[in-house]
Amino acid sequence: MASPLAQFEIKTLIPLHVGGYDISFTNSALFMAFTVIAVMVFMTAGMRKGALVPGRWQLSVEMCYEFVANMLHDTAGREARKYFPFVFTLFMFILFANLIGMVPYFGFTFTSHIAVTFAMASFVFIGVTLIGLFKHGFKFFLLFVPKGAPLALMPLLVLIELVSYLSRPISLSVRLFANMVAGHTMLKVFGGFVVALGVLGVVPFAFIVALTGLELLVACLQAYVFAILTCMYLNDALHLH
Amino acid sequence: MPQLDPAVFLPQIFWLFIIFGLIYLFIAYSAAPKITQVLERRQDRIASDLQEAEQLQAQAEEARAAYEKALEEARAKASSTVAAKREAIKADIEAEYNKLSEKLGGEAATAEAKIAKAKNKALDEVRTMAADVCKDIILSVSGLELDEKIVSANVDSKFDAVKGNANG
Repeated sequence: MASPLAQFEIKTLIPLHVGGYDISFTNSALFMAFTVIAVMVFMTAGMRKGALVPGRWQLSVEMCYEFVANMLHDTAGREARKYFPFVFTLFMFILFANLIGMVPYFGFTFTSHIAVTFAMASFVFIGVTLIGLFKHGFKFFLLFVPKGAPLALMPLLVLIELVSYLSRPISLSVRLFANMVAGHTMLKVFGGFVVALGVLGVVPFAFIVALTGLELLVACLQAYVFAILTCMYLNDALHLH
Repeated sequence: MPQLDPAVFLPQIFWLFIIFGLIYLFIAYSAAPKITQVLERRQDRIASDLQEAEQLQAQAEEARAAYEKALEEARAKASSTVAAKREAIKADIEAEYNKLSEKLGGEAATAEAKIAKAKNKALDEVRTMAADVCKDIILSVSGLELDEKIVSANVDSKFDAVKGNANG
């Protein structure tokens, strides 16, 4: 029987090397493409009519839109409006990636790769830091100075703030990565039990059914968490304290 | 763990940026504006519908006020008409009454004058008769033929006293 971690293996589909760098098209990239196509189909077909009174499909597209729009507005305020397309894209991309990864036999979850999540988290981190620097200039570093703290403790507090700020991309990426890995590994492990236990396998099978429900929830929740943390970081950059 | 193999990093990150870039462009320039437009149009429609409803309500309110005013006016007009008619009828009745009572008063006066005339005539006749009777009685009792003028003067004086009593 295959290892529960075999599902995370990267298989090269189209080998591609440019200037000594390996940029092969892999199963991971393929599922990114599937995700993007799914998002495009979901939105284009949903908004095809653009009806005044929305149907079910259109309503679900609108709900996604309004959900992210409200989240961004409530956490980061009005100035963050111009970053809405990015946050919306991020949310939809991760959500669909996680959900497609849940399809049995077929799905590959590229959000279970630290390289992918860390790349996204770093992009958010660097982007937010640049936004803060452009908006506030040198004052941006006041973000690391807690208000009303005693002067004697300042060096220590600034150090703590700095470390916590720099660890943001790590916590953001590891949270999504670990959740996906844990969920899918657990499903695989219990899937192995179903086969190994024969008739008694109904017990782990029932557990898998319940776990799949939980994992669907986690898939949505982690997309939400990633998006709302992005909004919070954006808020910090836009408004400092 | 296959995820920790550095060989899988670059190809994934490369394609992630390309594919994420694509979907970002799609959402930012096509999907999101379309949804925004639809939502805004709906919002506008709701706002305009609400405004229209408000306007119609104001109109209805106005119509109601106009109706009430008209009703009030009609009522006032009706009551004033009734009052005027009543006044007119009252005046008519008064005029008729006055006319009638005047007429009756005139007839009564005429009748009274007739009665008075008849009474005076009757009294004169009674007086003449009384004078004749007195003269006849005195003639038969004493055999004296009295002058008619003396008798009638005496009778007249007595009579005037009686008449004064009767008339007084």
